[in-house]
Amino acid sequence: MMRTDPNIPDADGFYEALIAAQEGLSEAACEAFLLRFALLLANQVGDQQVLLEAIAAARAMIADKAHG
Amino acid sequence: MTQGGSATGGGYALPVFPYRRPAELAGETRRHKVAVVGGGLAGLTAACDLASRGIPVVLLDEDDTVGVRGASSRGIVYAQKTLEIFDRLGIYRRVAEKGVTWSVGRVLADDDLLYSFDAAQGSQSRQPPFINLQQFYIEWYLVDRLAELPEAELRWRNRVTGITLHDDHAALAVETPDGSYTLESEWVIDASGLASRVRQVLGARMAAELGEDRWCISDVRFEKTLPAERWTWAKAAFNDGRAVWQHPMADGVWRLDYQMGADADPQTIADPETVRDRLRRHLGATRVEIVWVGPYGYRTQLMENFRHGRVFFAGDVAHVMNPFGARGGNSGVQDAENIAWKLAAVLTGAAPEALLDSYDEERHAAGAHNIRVTTRTIRFLAPRSPFEHRLRDAVLDLARRYDFARALVNTGRLSAPFDYAGSALTTSGGGSLPNLPLVHPDGTPGALSDLLRGPGARFLVLCFPGSAAPELPAGLARCFACGGAVGDLPVLRGDAIDRLAGAGEVLVVRPDQHLAARLLRPETTAVRAAIDRALGRECR
Repeated sequence: MMRTDPNIPDADGFYEALIAAQEGLSEAACEAFLLRFALLLANQVGDQQVLLEAIAAARAMIADKAHG
Repeated sequence: MTQGGSATGGGYALPVFPYRRPAELAGETRRHKVAVVGGGLAGLTAACDLASRGIPVVLLDEDDTVGVRGASSRGIVYAQKTLEIFDRLGIYRRVAEKGVTWSVGRVLADDDLLYSFDAAQGSQSRQPPFINLQQFYIEWYLVDRLAELPEAELRWRNRVTGITLHDDHAALAVETPDGSYTLESEWVIDASGLASRVRQVLGARMAAELGEDRWCISDVRFEKTLPAERWTWAKAAFNDGRAVWQHPMADGVWRLDYQMGADADPQTIADPETVRDRLRRHLGATRVEIVWVGPYGYRTQLMENFRHGRVFFAGDVAHVMNPFGARGGNSGVQDAENIAWKLAAVLTGAAPEALLDSYDEERHAAGAHNIRVTTRTIRFLAPRSPFEHRLRDAVLDLARRYDFARALVNTGRLSAPFDYAGSALTTSGGGSLPNLPLVHPDGTPGALSDLLRGPGARFLVLCFPGSAAPELPAGLARCFACGGAVGDLPVLRGDAIDRLAGAGEVLVVRPDQHLAARLLRPETTAVRAAIDRALGRECR
C-alpha cells in the first residue's frame, strides 16, 4: 500500500536539493529532469501495487484541478 | 514429394501442387470427420497434427502452392514451442537444416547498444529458442509431411465459398476448376486467414482496430556480413529517428523492417529508389538485391468466440496483432495444436464434446494476451503525443546507463507459450513443459515430445520416486517413472527430467505438452480426476 505518512528523513533538505537541481534549467530541461527522476524512483519503490496507486493518486489530483 | 512443378517468386523456386478432381464431383457422397479450410501455417499444422493422431482430415486450399502470391513477406521467427510442435509432427529436422538458428538479441538506440540477451541461457528444450525461416518453407515441409500420412487428403484449388451448419455436420460449398460441390464434415477448422469467407458467412463477431503507424518491410540479400542475431533499434538516425528491425533468414535473405512516419504514403515508401536509398543509409555501400518490399499498417483483430457451432477458428482468422514479438504465426500453430488434440480425443471417444468448448476458452485468452503484449510494444515504439515521446526518450536515455531501465525498453516481447493456469481443464500448473531431452526405457536418446505423438491424444503421467504407480487405461495415458524406480513402471532417464519434480510428485501432461496437474503422492483416483478434468469431463 502506498505510504502517505511522513517518510522522508530530512524533508527540507530533500526539497532544497530538488529545487537546486532545476535551477537555471529551461522548462523542457526541467521536464526531462523530472521524468528521469520519476523513473529512477519507480525502480527504488519496486512494488507494482504501490506504483499503480501512486500513478492513480497523482493523476486524480490533476483531474480534480482540471474539472475544478 | 507432392511437388508437381515449380513457380517462382522473389528469386525462390516454389512447388506447385497437383489439383485432383474431388470424389464428390464424381457423385460420391461421404461425411468427412474434419475439414480444414486454408493451407497456411495454422491450417497445415492442424491437418498434420490430426493426421498424426490417426484422425482422417481433408484440407481445402484455394491455391496450388505455398505462401501468398509467391514469396511474399510473412512470418519468419519460429519460437521454441512451435519448434517443439514441429518436432512432434516430424518436420523439425528440415526446419533446423534450412533455417537460421539464433538466440542472441540486441536492442539499440542510434549507435548505442542498450542491452543484449541470449535466450539460450537456461533453455532446457531439445529445440533452440528460435529459428528464422521464410514461412513458405515451413508450409512446404508440412505439405510434404502430410503426403506421408495416410489419414490426410489435400485438395488444392478448392475454394470454399459458403458454409451451412447442421445439427451433426457442416456443409461447405466448394468451387474447383471442374465445378462446384458440397463437402460434408462433422467438424470444420477455419484457418483461411484475415479475409475468411467462412467467418463472413457465419457473421461471427470480431473486434478490430487499425493502427496509424506505417512500416515498410524489405526482404533483401546483400554482400555485407552481419551477425545471425536479432537487432532492433528503438530509434535509428539512419531511419530519421524511427525504429528498425534486422533479422536473418534462410537463403542469405535478411528482413529489414523500417518504421515510417504516421502519415507516410504506402506507394512512396515502397518506391524502389526510396527503398534503395533507405538500405544504403542502413547498410552503407554494399550490393543489394531486393527480394520483396511491403508497406503495411498494423491492425489488431480478435474474434469474440473462436468456436461457432461445429466450426473452430484458428490463426489469423481468429486473431491479428502487430508483428513485434512473432506472436502471430506462433500462436496460430498453438491454436492448431490445441484444437487438434481435443478433436482427436473427442473423435476417438476419449473425451466428451464438452472438451471442445475449452478451445475458445484457452486460445481466446491466448489471443487477447498476445494482443495486449504487442499493443504495449507499439505504444512504446510509436508514442502518441509529444510528451509520450519525451517519456520514451527518458527511458532510452536511462537504459544507456542503468540496468533497470532496460526492462522498460520494449522492442517486442518474443513469443512464449501461453500458460493455461486459468483454464477449466487445469488442476494445477498450466504451463508448457520444455521438450526435455531424455533417454527412453529402451536406451534410445530422445525427448519428451516423442511420448506425446499419436495415434490418439494420450496423456503422459510422470511419476517420481516416492509416489505410487497409478493404474490407468493404456488408451488414456502412458505412465513412466522419472529419476528412479516407481513400482514396475518403465523409467525415463536424464538430468533435466530428474529435476522436473520432487520426491513423491506425479505430473500429468496433456497431449500438447502443457502441465494439467502436479500432484503429491496421489491415489490413482486423483490422477484419474486430473485427466478427466483435462478432458472436459468435470462439470464446472
